[in-house]
Amino acid sequence: MFDPYYLQQLAIGLSQGVIYALMAIGFTLIFGVLNVVNFAHGEVYTVGAFAGLLLITAFAPPFLVVLFVVLAVGAALGFGLERIAFKPFRRFSDEASLKSRAMRESTLMSSLAVSIVAREGLEIAFGSQMQTLPFEYLINKPIAIGPVTIVTGDVIIFVVAALMLGGLQYLLTKTRVGLSIRAVSANPLGAKYVGIDTDRTIVTTFAIGSMMGAGAGILVGLYYGAIFPAMGFVPGIKAFVAMVMGGLSSIPGAVICALLLGLSEGLATTFISSNWADMVAYGFLIVTLIFFPQGLFGAGRERV
Amino acid sequence: MSEITRKGWVVPVLLLVLVFAVAPFTLAQFGKGYFFQVANLVLIFSLLAVSLHLVTGVAGLLHLGHAAFYGIGAYVAALMGTDLKLGFLWGLPAAGLVAALFALVVALPTMRLVSIYFAVATLAIGQMINTVLLNWVAVTKGPNGVMLFSGIKLFGFAVKGPLAVYFVVAVVVVASIWVLHRLSHSYYGNALRSLREDDQCADAMGIDTVRLKIEVFTLSAFFAGLAGALWAYTTGYVSPGDFNFSNSILILAMVVVGGLGSLPGAIVGAVLLILLPEVLRGLGDLRNVMVGLVMFVSILFLPKGLFGEVSALAFVRRNLGVKWGAAPSEREVGWR
Repeated sequence: MFDPYYLQQLAIGLSQGVIYALMAIGFTLIFGVLNVVNFAHGEVYTVGAFAGLLLITAFAPPFLVVLFVVLAVGAALGFGLERIAFKPFRRFSDEASLKSRAMRESTLMSSLAVSIVAREGLEIAFGSQMQTLPFEYLINKPIAIGPVTIVTGDVIIFVVAALMLGGLQYLLTKTRVGLSIRAVSANPLGAKYVGIDTDRTIVTTFAIGSMMGAGAGILVGLYYGAIFPAMGFVPGIKAFVAMVMGGLSSIPGAVICALLLGLSEGLATTFISSNWADMVAYGFLIVTLIFFPQGLFGAGRERV
Repeated sequence: MSEITRKGWVVPVLLLVLVFAVAPFTLAQFGKGYFFQVANLVLIFSLLAVSLHLVTGVAGLLHLGHAAFYGIGAYVAALMGTDLKLGFLWGLPAAGLVAALFALVVALPTMRLVSIYFAVATLAIGQMINTVLLNWVAVTKGPNGVMLFSGIKLFGFAVKGPLAVYFVVAVVVVASIWVLHRLSHSYYGNALRSLREDDQCADAMGIDTVRLKIEVFTLSAFFAGLAGALWAYTTGYVSPGDFNFSNSILILAMVVVGGLGSLPGAIVGAVLLILLPEVLRGLGDLRNVMVGLVMFVSILFLPKGLFGEVSALAFVRRNLGVKWGAAPSEREVGWR
């Protein structure tokens, strides 16, 4: 009754969803704390991929070394990004400025400006065309499971995403760092009053979130075998959509919605056309915003 | 500054002289089509920036899909010019009206959203419209774009030559900006400002905030549509790439650089961000980086922009002849 072709399409959609999830985790972590959409997250993803590319072409180290170096680069990027684009707008810590929309929107725009500079800088340095990766590093060797064929990259990305999600849940619920992150997330001023170093907590969150973004960048780059300066834009938007659908501050919700998004896009590609698949994400976003303004998993939950 | 602006008519007259006499005369001296093209671009983007200023600056709604309505206007004008053989006089109002109609339809359900949800919804709307422009090949010719060969014809006279086209564009842009100026510096504009400062409070004081948001969104899309028609007729070619997200961001950057809530600021931002890349063309690819840097630096060091809302409010008070207490500069409103 079920054509294996459709199963294959489902598998492709699911793997796409896992890729979005990988991106959405870091995005949501940063959003949940600062209440600021970090537009530069897509560029962290791109820069992570380029760092991996440089490392591979220069030293050709083993895969795991590449991954860990990229994670370290990502953490450094997150630190720098926070210091450049977000810290200057926390000059005032009174309640009015913390709640002021102007303050939040100025960081939104400053991160946007940083992302433009980063993307265009990369284009000058590397050109806008795709950079190819050495063949032996690509993670797309096929694995057949019954009638469905997936590639090694699907497994690796799935495992990494699961590890990130699990690790993050552990970090947020069981450790002191996670506790302070959640405290700042719930009420920055209150967190300050009880003696939490909000500044350090925020920068830590940025480092962790960007680490995940950069890791996602190199994994997806190796998965598709192509790295280019504008690669962060579309996954960035999809992660954004997944985050909103998941209720803006719920990481598991964002992951589930990212999977849902990938699946629906896969189905749209199969039954309509790949050109129109992007409409699915935007349509989901509008429908979510109008009918489920709390997100599918956002209502009544703690901001984790 | 205050000495000059106290005589309310001096600055507008100087600006009109600049736009209608000094600029075309200087450009005609150089006699190159390229300079006229840049001048048209500056005018069109001034109109776009001012129309976005009404939504983002005055009403305080972060709109991330403005270029899409600009694109609808451009496509309507171009398609009417090629497929229906209807000229500029039909294309221009039709472009504005169709863009406004689209805006109204999408605004009805989405304008209840606030803050970041609103920004995300407008981003999605912009992307959806751009996707349709890109993929509805039967009508929009897809990624190939539409070529519009028929120039501007006014009442049977063909408008030929860059100077004449410049004047047509200038007249439309100046008239639209004048309308937007009157609108944002009126009591209606003050209602929009109340929306920006505290929409719950505005609601409590009897302002229908949702209706106001829908109106201002539709109005701004109308003027974006006009700008789109001008773009289609001046370049003779429209393609989806001209109306994507990064263009929305470019327009937003103009409003931000000039100072949120300030109409002269929006124009100055448009002039800066169009001329800067052209002047820096010698530096090659660095120009886009410069746009990003200018935006970042202006957000960081000039949070009120080049012309902040405070001076703009003082301007309104003078123009309306309303005495609102003594020193306006003492009482900061809104954006820090």
